[in-house]
Amino acid sequence: MFKKTATTLALAAAIGSSQSAMADVVDNSFYPYKDGAPSFPGLEVGMTINASNADQFKDALDPATYEQLKNGWWEMQVAETTSFDLYPAYVEATRSGMGKVSLGDELGQINGFVAGRPFPEEPSADDPRAGEKLAWNYKYGYNWGDSAAIYPFYWKYRDLESGKVERTLKYNFHFLNYKHRVQHDPVPEFADNPSDLFRAIYVQVLEPFDVKNTQLLIHRSSDDQTADNTWLYLGFQRRVRRLSSGQITDAFLGADIMIEDFEGYNGRISDMNWTYKGTKNIMLPFFNHNDLELATDLVESDGYQFVDFGGKGGCFPKITWQLRKVYVLESDPIDENHPISKRVHYVDAQTFTLPRTLIYDRKGDLWKSWLIGQAHPDHHLEKNKGTGVSIDDAFSMLDIQAGHCTTGQFKGQVDPELNQVKLFTVQNMRAKGR
Amino acid sequence: MKKISKILTALGSTTLLAGVGATGAHAQDEQWDTAGFVENATFYRDGVGLSKSRNTGQFEFSKDFGKKFGMNNFRVSGTLRATYDAVYDLNSEDYGHDAGGSRSFENFGSTTAQAIYGGTDSPWGQSILGNGGPPGAIPPGFLYDVSSNPNRGLKVLGEDMHDPMGGVTIGVPVRPCDKDSRGCGLDDYMDYDTNDLRFPEFNDELDFIRELYFEGSVPTGDMSEWFFRVGKQQVVWGRTDLFRVLDVINPVDFSRQNIYDELEDIRIPQWIATAEYRWGATDIFDDLNLQVVWNFDQFRPNDLGQGGTPYSILDAGSFFRAMNNCWENGCTVSNFVPAGAIGLDDPGLIAADFAPGVIGIRKVDMPSGHDQGGIKLEGVYKSVGFSLNYYHYYQQLPTLRGDIESMNAFTGEIADWDHLIAFDINFPEVDLFGGSLDFYIDAIKTVFRVEATYTQGEEFANSIEPDLYSESDVMRWVLGVDRNTFIPFLNKKRAFLISGQVFGQHLLDHELEKAPLGDIGMPDWEDNYIATLLIKGWYKSDTISPQIIMAYDYEAEAGTVAPSVDWLINDNWRLIVGFNIKFGDGMGDQEFDDCRTCNPFPPFTASPAHADPMQSGSVGLSGVQPLGRFRSGPLGSASEEDEFQVTLRYRF
Repeated sequence: MFKKTATTLALAAAIGSSQSAMADVVDNSFYPYKDGAPSFPGLEVGMTINASNADQFKDALDPATYEQLKNGWWEMQVAETTSFDLYPAYVEATRSGMGKVSLGDELGQINGFVAGRPFPEEPSADDPRAGEKLAWNYKYGYNWGDSAAIYPFYWKYRDLESGKVERTLKYNFHFLNYKHRVQHDPVPEFADNPSDLFRAIYVQVLEPFDVKNTQLLIHRSSDDQTADNTWLYLGFQRRVRRLSSGQITDAFLGADIMIEDFEGYNGRISDMNWTYKGTKNIMLPFFNHNDLELATDLVESDGYQFVDFGGKGGCFPKITWQLRKVYVLESDPIDENHPISKRVHYVDAQTFTLPRTLIYDRKGDLWKSWLIGQAHPDHHLEKNKGTGVSIDDAFSMLDIQAGHCTTGQFKGQVDPELNQVKLFTVQNMRAKGR
Repeated sequence: MKKISKILTALGSTTLLAGVGATGAHAQDEQWDTAGFVENATFYRDGVGLSKSRNTGQFEFSKDFGKKFGMNNFRVSGTLRATYDAVYDLNSEDYGHDAGGSRSFENFGSTTAQAIYGGTDSPWGQSILGNGGPPGAIPPGFLYDVSSNPNRGLKVLGEDMHDPMGGVTIGVPVRPCDKDSRGCGLDDYMDYDTNDLRFPEFNDELDFIRELYFEGSVPTGDMSEWFFRVGKQQVVWGRTDLFRVLDVINPVDFSRQNIYDELEDIRIPQWIATAEYRWGATDIFDDLNLQVVWNFDQFRPNDLGQGGTPYSILDAGSFFRAMNNCWENGCTVSNFVPAGAIGLDDPGLIAADFAPGVIGIRKVDMPSGHDQGGIKLEGVYKSVGFSLNYYHYYQQLPTLRGDIESMNAFTGEIADWDHLIAFDINFPEVDLFGGSLDFYIDAIKTVFRVEATYTQGEEFANSIEPDLYSESDVMRWVLGVDRNTFIPFLNKKRAFLISGQVFGQHLLDHELEKAPLGDIGMPDWEDNYIATLLIKGWYKSDTISPQIIMAYDYEAEAGTVAPSVDWLINDNWRLIVGFNIKFGDGMGDQEFDDCRTCNPFPPFTASPAHADPMQSGSVGLSGVQPLGRFRSGPLGSASEEDEFQVTLRYRF
């Protein structure tokens, strides 16, 4: 009897201990700054990092950012590290799925995933598939939540040397998750989803005239090993054309960005080999939009102002940066004909967004520096408050070799009304076209 | 005045429509979305000179009024376009009021002609079998009044492409219809005067309104809705470029630049109503919708380009104008009769002057019904895009029906003569059944596009038939392949688009027979294939885009290569410089039964090869004109139209 009771107590203790450990794992994953912000010798809130002191902070900067600052192309304003808490239901979904998710035998396979962050555990250098798990965390991250729109979205093509703005494109971007939803109805997924889609992205070009009405639709299957379906509507042809994957890895409408670069990485897990390269604290572009000195040239009718750009060539957002915990994740394409040799992602450990990515050409030389500034939702549009979405708010894709950049100014809106499911159909492209 | 009144009415309607919406709507877009451009396209044709100096202004507008009239996203959209092609003023010697001249017509191998004219050619209206023959000995059907149908402002049919080579040719009046009304007697068909050619949009159909329509949706569920669009518009079916297999709802204007302008710019908008039920995603399909189309506009055929204008696809406009002049005023036809047949001791062929009402094209019968329409089921199933289509319409290319009454050139009797080249133009009813697919094969990184149609009711020239035409069911298909491919030595950073297409056509009721002097029947190929290849690259943030388009017609053995560079100077200015070069065989390399030996007036027109001189029907003597054009196709028949092209556009 005593033995049985003791066993029961031991089991209960073990379970309690396990549950506690699991809770710690989730809390550590989603609230890495709960016990305080990271620090770096000499780094202080309010200071400026520039050519004169870049060397001092080299270890707190990714290599491309260091080079840019060292060259005096722009100056970094250091702000306080703040917590970007994701939506509570997403965190709870992670808790519910703890211990139930595993990788399949092959790259691109995952088992037992329902919603939330699939692998909240700290990555281990001893785990040969740690990089793959980080990639899954990004794929099923809360990037734009269940749905969101960038409405509108300005892209400017700029010459790094002269600062000349060569082209200005105006878009609307829409994102919708069909599955693994946690916030907006239907939760957890749409009923009519015959191709078992995970996500869709719909893009519409509003200006200028030569590309007006161009539309892009991407359907991403739940099965990561299934190729994306991508369609392009060309206004001058009035026709929907299916895109080959060659066009996914090509400059999109002449920008320095390929479709695969959207959001940091817009492809399949199974298209890349993923390698976890370590954890560190570096400066990342996280800020409060409403606290910035904003652009005055593209003011919306509701008074919204976009992030401004400056520095060399106007290629760098005028934002503040935070010292944050990152996972360094390397991805190299499986396709030998892919135009790049690898990407190095600096994954924000709290949000699993990709605010910094370095892209290397086929020779292995640094080709592009990819920055996606993250705005806190509670310091942005009123409708974004409380959404728990880290808002993509400004981007810069700098082609270092060509001396050229494409900058992006967002009006991100977490608003299901802007992203109704019927928007994400091929037929909608025909209807929206002329 | 009638035109101006219509234009003002239409503009007023547009303004009113906009005004009503603007005042009463809870607008989603606060302002009208407007855009436009002005453009000059200047083309230089080898051996001719200026072939186009087109100045275009286009203005587009749209506004989303939000919820209105029971619909969501009620939107009004329009496109206005005005064009002035200065080529008719700047190169009037080739295309305007000074075009053409006096012409003579071949009497191949004729010793009589040699004796009379000092050569083998006889002037217009002075043929041996005609006004130039012995007075009183020529039947009335071979005389016409040259004073009202003079030898000026003419070209010889096909002279820009080939020599007569012993075949039939006809004189073509080539000046605009206000300068020379000969051959312009087809009511509202190829009867353009100078201003119609200069300003093609300002016509009775108000073509300056390229588009003006409203649209809106009525939700029926989370995923499903009705969508309506009504007004002047383009409705595009299909998945292929250049070839119009399913894309048949709007006729097209080939007079702008043959087949080479974007279809977007040359589809002739029609007043059309479409209703679409969109299921969205269903249990089975990723996307599914059903579209019903009703073209309630007046029928309009393809614009083939008038005779004497720079772009006349297949040179059909020249043939029609020549033939209408034959019917209305009479005409001279080269090499029409063996000299021996009229009792001359002469081994050659002689030209003939035909009186009005003997041969030619009498009139055009435009369909009056506003009853073109169809249905399309389109969707995506397991990542494969598909459509099933049915459309009922009128053939957009003209057919010549030889069942009209005309005068026997020898006896003066009026009757419907079998195998006589006297026609009315018709546009028969056609039923089209078709479908399309597109899919992507990841393993080879390639997109495939397929369209196929089966039509019933199309008509084709057929020299076997007494009325010189017959119906044939037709199968058409296109296979398109797109692949983005890096060509590292040309561009290490940006892939090239390589897009190939093969178009096939099969006439199921094709007729072709051997006759004593050659083949008779249908000049169109029973099976033919045209292949196209596009290679397009991009440099400097896509602001510089070189491309090369190649096309090759398998049976015509004719091709085109069109290299060009598109330079986007900035967001406003765009410059396109290119060439359009033809290669391979030309129209002169294709001959077919020309019906000289059709014996329409037996026994007078019987040849020694006719077994029964009282029986009409061709024995197959062939020439380039008039049916070689069908075998040359649009590529071969434009073999002499090599061009250097510059287009400058300013967008606003």
